[in-house]
Amino acid sequence: MDIDTTKCVGCGNCHIICTMGAISLDADGRSVVNQDECVECSTCYRVLKNEGYWVWFIRAIRKALSFFHLGHLADTDLCPTGALTPPELAWPRVLRAQFSNPTVVHPGTGVPGRGTDEIKSNDVTGRLRGGEAGLVVEIGRPGIGACFRDVEKVAMALAPLEPVFEPENPVTDLIADLETGRMKAEILNEKVLSAIIELKIGLEKVPAFLSVLEKIQHEIDTVISVGIASRCLPDGTIPHEEWVEKAGYALSPNGKTNLGMGRPLFREDKA
Amino acid sequence: MTNTLHRQGTIESLRHDYVIFAHTAKGINREGAASKIREFMKICLKYHPVNMGDVKQGGMHRDGIAIEQLIANLEDGTVGAAAFTDLDTLHKVVEELIKVDLGICINISGLLDEVRECCRKAGITRHSAEHSLGIWGAKDRLPEREVMEFNTMCGHGMISFNLVRKMIEEVRLRRKTPKQAARMMAKCCECGAFNPARAEALLERMRERGFLYSER
Repeated sequence: MDIDTTKCVGCGNCHIICTMGAISLDADGRSVVNQDECVECSTCYRVLKNEGYWVWFIRAIRKALSFFHLGHLADTDLCPTGALTPPELAWPRVLRAQFSNPTVVHPGTGVPGRGTDEIKSNDVTGRLRGGEAGLVVEIGRPGIGACFRDVEKVAMALAPLEPVFEPENPVTDLIADLETGRMKAEILNEKVLSAIIELKIGLEKVPAFLSVLEKIQHEIDTVISVGIASRCLPDGTIPHEEWVEKAGYALSPNGKTNLGMGRPLFREDKA
Repeated sequence: MTNTLHRQGTIESLRHDYVIFAHTAKGINREGAASKIREFMKICLKYHPVNMGDVKQGGMHRDGIAIEQLIANLEDGTVGAAAFTDLDTLHKVVEELIKVDLGICINISGLLDEVRECCRKAGITRHSAEHSLGIWGAKDRLPEREVMEFNTMCGHGMISFNLVRKMIEEVRLRRKTPKQAARMMAKCCECGAFNPARAEALLERMRERGFLYSER
């Protein structure tokens, strides 16, 4: 995001809304964006309503109030002068928007948000079948963000266990070598709100994968949200529960359920 | 989009937090699905969700968004979502969806045992399920537990830690009511998965029992 300093009146609302805390005031009292930290999520631009005031008018009021040591408590969702300016993004910086701005549809998968399907369409795709588990490793979430350098570290730690990297996943698209997990060199310094490595593995391999994640989590300076999924048994039992418990990890009480209402329903016996 | 998977909070609080959403798969049931997603959203709307939306247009709490217009503008590849606060209502929505049999993929995020029971009552068996294994890595960089409860209701990460803190402070100073503060947070959520009713309840609870850093 860019901020037009000829328009900015330094109200600070965008500092609060910024998902990465990447905006601050410069010495002249104008807001500036730390472009290394900005993930181009555009939340500030979408949420802060442009009030369209004259810049000189707002500056004069602010100056007069500050003379009397007074301030004005403006609503948080306003930009008085419309100073926020979304830039044209070129490769590889455009990846920041693709992975951080949920309104942008991932070009590879056609899915908005973080661009992944996981179990959400498993009833019609049959991506996860009996005996398989899906691991969803979201690096940077919640709220800290991650560089693709961090994503690469995790991908390279997991790759030797020979998972199937989900082909319909935007991170998989950026992995240059699926055998090693090495990513395209030119993207490594790009920062995003989060990126999801999506893998398919045999259920019996769940403990080994969690053990690798256990080690690699200490080698990156961001957070990882981990999820696990599987196709339920005919009575509704969740097969991965047993393997996660065997590995010594706790499962959340809440989660996601695919109700199986998609059509045509995928039939494993006919695949 | 694992955006509804990692919601944090006590079991009691999560009992008031269910997100139902419609998804489609490329090359299978996505093409031509817009009218079905619209139908899904209309059914949800009938049962008064506390939030709804789709990622391409935003949530219903955004300024200048009329819900009927939002539904009319839904496109094939989008993900329509609606948030509810109780299982009984969710059950009614599921029953109606079974009746109309739209053929798009329907998912629910919430307490897994309760959702399973809801499916059982509606006469279906869940197809697939996903658990969160929690947050790993540099957890020392995360804020207070209370801030996380709000932030994780928008899994796309649109509600910044700073905004949550600011809203808690505004409620503490009585510059905003819990309802106003919750609505401000909901404005940032693009997909309609944020639950402003639960956020309001969390803020009310804080006002009664103590804000951040308070003894409980």
